[in-house]
Amino acid sequence: MAISSPSILARLGTWEGLLLIILIVTVSVNAAIVPQFLTLQNQINLFQLSIEKIIVALAMTFIIINAEIDLSVASVMGLSACAFAVLVQAGVPAGLAIILCLALGALAGSVNAFFIAYAGIPSLVVTLAMLIGFRGFARVLLEDQGIGGFPEWFNSLGRDPFLGPFPLSLVTFAVLFVIAAIILHRTGFGREVFVIGNNADMARYSGVQVKRVKAILFIGTGVISALAGLFYAARLASVRGDAANGFELDIITMVLLGGVSIFGGRGSIIGVLFSILIVLNLRNGMALMNITGHIQTAVIGILLILSVLGPNLAERAKSFGKAGASA
Amino acid sequence: MRNFHPQTLRLIALALVLLATVLFFSSQIDNYFSTRMLNRIATSVAVILPIAIGQAMVVMTRNIDLSIGSVVGIVAYIIGDFLGTHPDLHPVAVVFLAMALGGFFGSINGLLVSYGRVPSIIATLGTLALFRTFLVEYSDARTITTSSLPKWLVDLPQQTLFSIGPIDFRTIVVMALVAAAVFWVALSRLRVARKIYTVGSNPDAAVMAGINTARVVFATFVLSGALAGLAGFIFLAKFGNITVVAGLGFELKAVAAVVVGGVNIFGGSGSIVGVLLGTVLVDTIDNSLTRWAVVSEFWRDALLGMLIMTAVVADTYMSRSFGRMKSKAALEAAKPQQPAKATGASS
Amino acid sequence: MTSPVLELRNISKSFAMTAALSDMSFSVLPGEIHAIVGENGAGKSTLIKIMTGVHQPDHGTILADGKPVTVRSTQEAQAIGVAAIFQEPMVFPDLDVAENIFISHQQLGAVMNWRELYKASDELISRLGVTLDVRRAASGLTLAEQQTVEIARALSLNVKVLIMDEPTASLSAHEVERLLTIARALKASGVAVLYISHRLDEIFRIADRVTVLRDGKHISTRPVAEVTEDGMVREMVGRAIDSFALKLKPNPHGEKLLEVENLNRDGVFRNVSFDLHKGEVLCFAGLVGSRRTDVGLALFGVEPATSGRITLGGKQVAITSPQQAMAEGIAYVSEDRRKLGLAITMPIYANASLPSLKKFLSRFGLIDRKAENAMAETYRQQLSIKSPDVVIEVGKLSGGNQQKVMLAKWLETKPRLLIFDEPTRGIDVGAKAEVHNIIRDLAKQGVAIIVISSDLPEVLALADRILVMREGSQMGIFSIADSSQENIIAVATGQASTEHMALAS
Repeated sequence: MAISSPSILARLGTWEGLLLIILIVTVSVNAAIVPQFLTLQNQINLFQLSIEKIIVALAMTFIIINAEIDLSVASVMGLSACAFAVLVQAGVPAGLAIILCLALGALAGSVNAFFIAYAGIPSLVVTLAMLIGFRGFARVLLEDQGIGGFPEWFNSLGRDPFLGPFPLSLVTFAVLFVIAAIILHRTGFGREVFVIGNNADMARYSGVQVKRVKAILFIGTGVISALAGLFYAARLASVRGDAANGFELDIITMVLLGGVSIFGGRGSIIGVLFSILIVLNLRNGMALMNITGHIQTAVIGILLILSVLGPNLAERAKSFGKAGASA
Repeated sequence: MRNFHPQTLRLIALALVLLATVLFFSSQIDNYFSTRMLNRIATSVAVILPIAIGQAMVVMTRNIDLSIGSVVGIVAYIIGDFLGTHPDLHPVAVVFLAMALGGFFGSINGLLVSYGRVPSIIATLGTLALFRTFLVEYSDARTITTSSLPKWLVDLPQQTLFSIGPIDFRTIVVMALVAAAVFWVALSRLRVARKIYTVGSNPDAAVMAGINTARVVFATFVLSGALAGLAGFIFLAKFGNITVVAGLGFELKAVAAVVVGGVNIFGGSGSIVGVLLGTVLVDTIDNSLTRWAVVSEFWRDALLGMLIMTAVVADTYMSRSFGRMKSKAALEAAKPQQPAKATGASS
Repeated sequence: MTSPVLELRNISKSFAMTAALSDMSFSVLPGEIHAIVGENGAGKSTLIKIMTGVHQPDHGTILADGKPVTVRSTQEAQAIGVAAIFQEPMVFPDLDVAENIFISHQQLGAVMNWRELYKASDELISRLGVTLDVRRAASGLTLAEQQTVEIARALSLNVKVLIMDEPTASLSAHEVERLLTIARALKASGVAVLYISHRLDEIFRIADRVTVLRDGKHISTRPVAEVTEDGMVREMVGRAIDSFALKLKPNPHGEKLLEVENLNRDGVFRNVSFDLHKGEVLCFAGLVGSRRTDVGLALFGVEPATSGRITLGGKQVAITSPQQAMAEGIAYVSEDRRKLGLAITMPIYANASLPSLKKFLSRFGLIDRKAENAMAETYRQQLSIKSPDVVIEVGKLSGGNQQKVMLAKWLETKPRLLIFDEPTRGIDVGAKAEVHNIIRDLAKQGVAIIVISSDLPEVLALADRILVMREGSQMGIFSIADSSQENIIAVATGQASTEHMALAS
């Protein structure tokens, strides 16, 4: 009988449980090999190096649970960073520039939202075009120059301790994480995100405003991406046209590895947090062991494929087992 | 009313857009119709066309191959490296080696998508990173330079195979065009190749008709890889100097050419002629912008993005209004012949 | 006498606990048009699926040309000369007609000879006695033309037995003629046609023999000349009349809640007019494709009406979206649980609360999980949903219990008007009775109810009045006292005009 409450054993068998085990193993191995690994400073560093990606991963979680995808996030990050640099260079106060960049992110998100939610074009196509398009605008803004010379207070945001030993970017991530967790798992909006991802037609037949929810998600993701782009500018203290290029791969990997189904409707923000921690620790551990960035990227690529292939193969093995048993 | 195949209309529209683009730039850029400009566009097309054809076939089956840029780079590098130690290899053998190598990488994608049931976007996004890393590790930060390549290869891009009037046909351009011709004929004539359309057009019906859809999808990924291998060879010949960033971002150009070329992003339809026109259009805009004084060349990607979007929107609305027309006609036909007498018989 | 081209001997097939077919035997002769009739759930579709290799029988044998065969796939069915066309034809929209016809012909050689292909297709089409441009893309074809393509495809594969499953359900009168022409042409060329239809007039016009199924059992096979319409209908519904003989007492009606005047949706349905009182059950009867569901969808705002007037509770309303319909107190329980009714991988409570989610939101839009759970728990007990708790994924429940979750979901919106679309499709007899009781209870509580159903015994058991539709038109409204299965079928199939029947007022 399939009907029974999930036992503790079953919970451990979930994707999140598996991630937790992988996480513990990764951290233990790292800590055993590299003595300074578990120091607070190293842990903060490891977060900081990928802070922009993990912030966007929170928004991407919503998008993928909604059965959509946004490939343009890294381009929006780059566009926002470049726009900020150009504005500051043109003498606009950094504070105002920040607001303008967030608005730009909302605009970019609205473009995606319009084509996806209202024109009904698949998000894969729209955001692939916008991946090229938004990146193109970033290049138009900066051409081949690099712009730095931001106000010192701005640069320090991405670097210096803000709350205790934690820099603002990390604090922001923590706050956004809590907000995302509450919205996704505790509010009516979050419920609608899941339901649409599960069955968009049914959601419409149940009075859910599917288009509106999708539009909010893509616009929100635009704003979050723009914010992450600003943190990127602050962390590096200078910006080029290829800022954050290719980050979408890491971001999508973190989300899918976190157990969010590429087909939508399933996933949890805790799973994504675990997977973020795994990816960060893996990268950091590899870096501390002097493994090059490219190998790290390859490992992420393999993880991405395995995070989908693994469950597929497991399911297949299970159904084979069943067929064998009944035969 | 004549029954134009919707594909034919698309091609005509595309050809008109291409013509308008060329006329526009010729009015803006001095001496636009020069042999130099033509060769520039033609040799860019030579690199992109093979991967666009491969991408087109993958897209026709409702999939996407984002890894081809990495495959182009990897094949260009490995073949270049190999020629440094085996300069005597016959040119034809080199081309086949390049395609076989590309096909091998394509088969990895094919296995993941067809038999591992990983969505193609995920699988090829992963292998995009994976193959690139492989190249970085393999190259060990060395660069292939023309000095290590055999003379025939270095001379290849300047080599003219034949001329028609003032137009010289460079060998590498002819290679790409031959590839296009082969696949054009295959896709319209070979029964095996027609399966690609059936899988994208109606997967359920394809299964019902006894078509092994997994095998067809696998084959398109292998072909896509092999064509990326061919593009890698042409890339190697064209540039001679190969670094680890070779072919970076080509997948997007290929997707652009395919979508602009009228291949339905939802699978099932598209033609190689369209892909050729799409590739030429994308490369014409690309190369013309670098010579256009009014707008900086950095507008290339922004324009490319907008071009893709325009093509997709146009296609979506065209097919939708077409669908509406269709269902309306069907409903008109479904109306009963005479008005029903007994309606309105409520209380 | 000719020997049967296909014979079924003592075929039985069960799904879970229900027997879809039991001890079914019949045979098909070459060149005959053999009609199969029966109510919904009589086992027709299981029979087709067994003949085409989609399902394998639990017991019994299939003989092709007298030799026992196993049929495990559509390909194997094709190999013994059995093919089927369905209401929704399987064509490739991007390919032209000719290629669609010859899609399965791998033996034709590696290279496409288009000229040959067009010629052969033209020949096949003309053998069917109709005309169709074989160079057209299939995406531009009407449903009827797509069927022609499928029939030609079957013919090209040397089909011996062609199964047509409700082929005329969505066709216009003109297109029906065309299909009957094709069926006769097939017969003339020696192909046996298994013709499955609810439209008895068609059967009397073209069939040679008629087989009646009921409750998964073979009832009779007779030459059509020996069958009368009345007799056939009686055989089809025999059981049903017995078991539903005890008609539930009509509820006393309250005030008028809904008045619909000349409701139209362009090209879909036209001039639908009726009224509905509180506590009344109005059933929409008619054949598949008679556009009953579309009227329901228009009332619920999914596909709004293009003209006409809806008055609800004395106030004229324009309903253009489900949100609006729900705000007016309308609920629509879909016929398609999996696609339109439930989020299959989500728990009971999340499904139950979805349309009324606003009720469970506290400050800041947070869901009050306790109240949500309590609500779901109440319905679990009240509707006796068989599940230990309400956190179980809906997909793990049986069909009947899923149906109840869907009911809970809409009951929680406290509707004034409830539209049920095929409320008991695909659920077992026990659960069916429960759902019927729930519907009657709701009516007793004063909810106005519309039930769209193809199940005539169900219609007769539930309805106070019956609205019969045919091809997008309202054929009339009958009071339950004047209705029988025979006369509803007659009106729905166009056999009888409404003048012969007393109209309800």
